[in-house]
Amino acid sequence: MVTLTIDGRTVEVPEGTTVLRAAEKAGIKIPTLCDHPHLQPFGGCRVCVVEVEGLRTLQPSCTLPVSQNMVVHTNTPKVLAARKFVLTLIFSDRNHFCPYCQVSGGDCELQNTALEMGMTHWDYQPAWKPYPVDASHPNLVIDHNRCILCRRCVRACGELVGNYTLGIEERGANSMLIADTGVPFGESTCISCGTCSQVCPTGAIIDRRSAYQGLEKKTESTHTVCVQCSVGCGVEVLTRDNRLVRILGDWDATVNGGVICKMGRFDPLDDTRERVKTPLVRKDGKLQPASWDEALEVIAREIKAHQGKDIAGLVSPRLPAEALAAFHSLFKEGLQAEMVASMDGSGLASLLAAETGIHEDTLDVLHRADCVVTVGLDLYSDHQVLGFFIKRRLNTSTALVVVDSHENRFAEYARVALKPTVGKESVALQALVAAIREGHNGASGNLSELAGKAGVAETDIAKVADMIRKSGTTVFVYGQGLDENAAKALLEVIQQVGDNAKLVSAKGAANSLLAGQLGLSKPFNPKGHQAVLIALGDDEPSNTLIQQLEGVEFLAVAASHVSRLTAMANVVLPVEMWAEQEGTYINLEGRVQKAKAALQPTEWVRSSTDALMELGKLLKVPVNTDWQTAFTSKPSPVTLIGEPA
Amino acid sequence: MAKPKLASDWMAGCAGCHMSLLDIDERILQIAELVDIRATPITDLKEPDESGVDVGILEGGINNTANEEVAHKMRKRCKLLVALGDCAVFGGVPAMRNFFKMEEVLRRAYIETESTDEEGKIPDDPELARMTRVRAVHEVVPVDVFVPGCPPDPDVIFYVLSELAQGRIPELKDEKLQWH
Repeated sequence: MVTLTIDGRTVEVPEGTTVLRAAEKAGIKIPTLCDHPHLQPFGGCRVCVVEVEGLRTLQPSCTLPVSQNMVVHTNTPKVLAARKFVLTLIFSDRNHFCPYCQVSGGDCELQNTALEMGMTHWDYQPAWKPYPVDASHPNLVIDHNRCILCRRCVRACGELVGNYTLGIEERGANSMLIADTGVPFGESTCISCGTCSQVCPTGAIIDRRSAYQGLEKKTESTHTVCVQCSVGCGVEVLTRDNRLVRILGDWDATVNGGVICKMGRFDPLDDTRERVKTPLVRKDGKLQPASWDEALEVIAREIKAHQGKDIAGLVSPRLPAEALAAFHSLFKEGLQAEMVASMDGSGLASLLAAETGIHEDTLDVLHRADCVVTVGLDLYSDHQVLGFFIKRRLNTSTALVVVDSHENRFAEYARVALKPTVGKESVALQALVAAIREGHNGASGNLSELAGKAGVAETDIAKVADMIRKSGTTVFVYGQGLDENAAKALLEVIQQVGDNAKLVSAKGAANSLLAGQLGLSKPFNPKGHQAVLIALGDDEPSNTLIQQLEGVEFLAVAASHVSRLTAMANVVLPVEMWAEQEGTYINLEGRVQKAKAALQPTEWVRSSTDALMELGKLLKVPVNTDWQTAFTSKPSPVTLIGEPA
Repeated sequence: MAKPKLASDWMAGCAGCHMSLLDIDERILQIAELVDIRATPITDLKEPDESGVDVGILEGGINNTANEEVAHKMRKRCKLLVALGDCAVFGGVPAMRNFFKMEEVLRRAYIETESTDEEGKIPDDPELARMTRVRAVHEVVPVDVFVPGCPPDPDVIFYVLSELAQGRIPELKDEKLQWH
């Protein structure tokens, strides 16, 4: 530990701490602009300069490490004058005229800093050089006129997302923020995660959808969970007058630590689907508004008229745990329905892992992996935040291997990409087992045969085996794209690698893990069933589902949005969408998180859970929302973490 | 002791800061008790007394030779000059035009504007003031008190005026210091 004095206060901090962080610990606020608590120190803006006794010049506190008995002054006349001068230069560099800026009035860190410093004006006017505004991107706008070159966006893009799209070209006064090699932002390698806009201290990077919709300080904030996939990122949902304004990554969330992807940040705001506003019952061939009582009675009547074997139920794994449990208890236990499934994949590998006693690990293994092998999923487009975790480590010695028999854009980042023939993933993985074993015990002979059968180069397999052998920790990340054989082969690989192997499975939708534990992860086939109820929530029905349901005698759908599925239903129940519902989500690593409502639904809309409970009452079937008991009733691939009381 | 004299004028602004001044409502009577309000754009007397005033207030930036004249006259005739509002302090919204060429701005204003008929013409009478880059007041004449805001809040204006009326230099900070 190092002891130093800041403004007369003694503070003890670990060696390597910066003066800025030490001051924070001592409760002393030093203004900053380029600094961001989640990014590496940069020392670019010089707003945080301090005076250190014995040092000739002022020092940027954000990059200066503490030393024993250091004496620091953060608000001497010399420091304050320098800070004001630095701010004056920043203000007079480009267009920092506040009245026509989207963040003015509280959301601009530059303006806020100047006001805190008591600046009533700045001394120099700018050179009036107009800079371009890059509006080529579908989600974001870069206004170079507002840029202060702090490089927060550049660092976030690289350090947090591992995408390295943003950079700075030229030097000094000619410095410009660029995408890739200076291409329009919309044509760059940007993946639209929007982290740059979240860290921008000024109005230089703004997002199109929410810009000029009101200041952040005038919105209401709800910390909740993103339900777009099974990663379960923490998000901060900003609303105003019961309208969605903006979605931010929650910096304090354990899972994602502030980053989210396009699906989490922008897609929910671009949802233009029409809402189901009232319960609807088909009369004279047309869906007509009805009361909840009437709609539920029609469903109950139709269900009562059928045996369990004639009833089919399908549920969205995007729904909260309580709704899934209610659905499970109503259909499986209560009605003894034969065909009860959830709308995601098989959940096979996950279950196999549980059955073979192979335990899946928590996401933090990705932050210390020496080698990552992804199998049967494309982290470029799905579960993107896992992709960020991997990509940000690729500039260290961490190696990435992508195994996928289909086109996989994440393979661009891989040191070795294995593309077995479709259906031969299991053989490729067996070849890998052989190669790893060979490395230990000498030639076993069947490596080349297996590699040949799988349609992958033997040398590539050998290379991967070598990388895994040399790695301290190898994390295998697999998706739902595996068939049973491939899943088994993957488990063999993991057993072969032994203790160094860690396992993470991207389970699909927000509550797919629980759907699997409830035995709902199986293919849905309504053929031969006369009464079908679908708890769709805000999910989007697939074409396959629509085709499967053609000709079904009675179809009831609980959905938040109008779709082709609701159009073909006999009864439609209006239910809450993601931002309106409260409930539990269990992410892919077993983390139990609470979703909170950010929006108030309209009068006729109820939660999916309530709809199922009401239906249970009418059918005289006990319905419960106890997902914990169901979860623990069979071996689980993960242990529940942080279960709220 | 005679009441301190106060004069104001506006230049390249929107009159909004003077509107905000009037928004101090009945408190203007308190100000009038303390100071002798002389020339303002909204009173009969338009120019500050040749004999001088104690406080001069300027709203708006300086965007032509006529404004320069106003600023110089006010500076010469007042002891303490106040720049009132973002335009006077920074250049404000009118300064947006500085990012364009003067010809572009004039063409847009007098020829291309949707409400202009086909014979749109850029005024070129030699008697007209000559346009310049839009400048903050302190780029042309020294300023003693800066009151930013678009417009400054009436409470801030009242505070500034009451301090000046009582012979003190107002200090703007915390909730009184706002730009927009």
